[in-house]
Amino acid sequence: MFGWTLSRLPLSGKIYCTLFLAGIGLGALAAATQAATAVGVSPAQIRSSLAPDMPMTQMGHGEMSAEREIDIGEISNAAKVWIRTPLLIQTSHTHLFGQTLISGLLGLIFLFSALPDGRKGLILALPFAGTFLDIGGMWLTRFASPALAFLVFAGGALFAAGYCLIAAISVYELWFRKETIR
Amino acid sequence: MKRLAASAMAAGLALPALLSAHITPPVILLSEREAVTRLLAGAKKFSVLEVRLTSQERKEIARQWNWKPAEDFQRFYLGRSEDGSLLGAVIFVTDFTIHGPIEVAVGLDPKGVVRGASVVECTEETYPWVKPLVDLDVEKWFAGQDCRAHCEAMKTGKIDTLHPMCHFYAEILASLVQKGSVLYEVGVTRRGSTH
Repeated sequence: MFGWTLSRLPLSGKIYCTLFLAGIGLGALAAATQAATAVGVSPAQIRSSLAPDMPMTQMGHGEMSAEREIDIGEISNAAKVWIRTPLLIQTSHTHLFGQTLISGLLGLIFLFSALPDGRKGLILALPFAGTFLDIGGMWLTRFASPALAFLVFAGGALFAAGYCLIAAISVYELWFRKETIR
Repeated sequence: MKRLAASAMAAGLALPALLSAHITPPVILLSEREAVTRLLAGAKKFSVLEVRLTSQERKEIARQWNWKPAEDFQRFYLGRSEDGSLLGAVIFVTDFTIHGPIEVAVGLDPKGVVRGASVVECTEETYPWVKPLVDLDVEKWFAGQDCRAHCEAMKTGKIDTLHPMCHFYAEILASLVQKGSVLYEVGVTRRGSTH
């Protein structure tokens, strides 16, 4: 881009890009661990945290109350985070800002990759697409169908795949690629 | 290139500011089952009572208590003695504060008097302010109070020594206990939903 490539960056630029990529990678690992412990990463776990609370009684449509005797074991003993709508709003706005900014900075570095423009565009779009799928999937799971919980995992996986590709290609070009003079 | 570098730097500086606004991770202090068994101690039989508040009931809550429940669907866990007489109910109530959600399980006796209240969930950010309250037996503060009219948060002088944010969260906890009491009053007592 503008005649600059990652391999031609000055040492300070290479250090900046490498440390930024490393920091984001560590952050992504921490975020994945946090998601796995607080919510879970299987579609069933995501569904149980995001889907609307399902009645435990057989309260029918139009009924105003229902009672059912239960065994104490039927009450959840899991330290489960249930993401209700106000929390979903909070989570969405912070994650959309944060992840889009991260995707943007990753993309900014990757713009200087020597890859052909089409391939470059495709790869740098992955973290953005993953973010939209991730947050969009949360809303769809809550308001469209709990069966769409897999979208949240798919979005996270897409973001991670995009990051891994960008980081691997960028680090290779920063430190190992020999610039060929045409 | 200079312009590009300046843009990249501006974006880089904006990142920590934005991430600092990130909600901190949740801290789960109790599972639902633990809270129910704790607040309905002595109960031999359990049942779940689910009610759907009518728009009239929601309006009544707004008029009388200046607060509108976020959802019309409410769930109460009821505890009964061996002979089936009602010992109490537990409802989970959440407030979404600027620092993230805080959830409290409110235990009530059949007349709506508070049996106890347990903090179920807070966040890593609020935990340092909530933990001292838990250590000061916040669960017992509300016991015996009829919180429908007013809920007294700070009955012990020890709280005066705590951080001002602890006072803020003590008030939040009191308002949650009051909300739980109000929901029981409107959704259960006034309807005569239990037998």
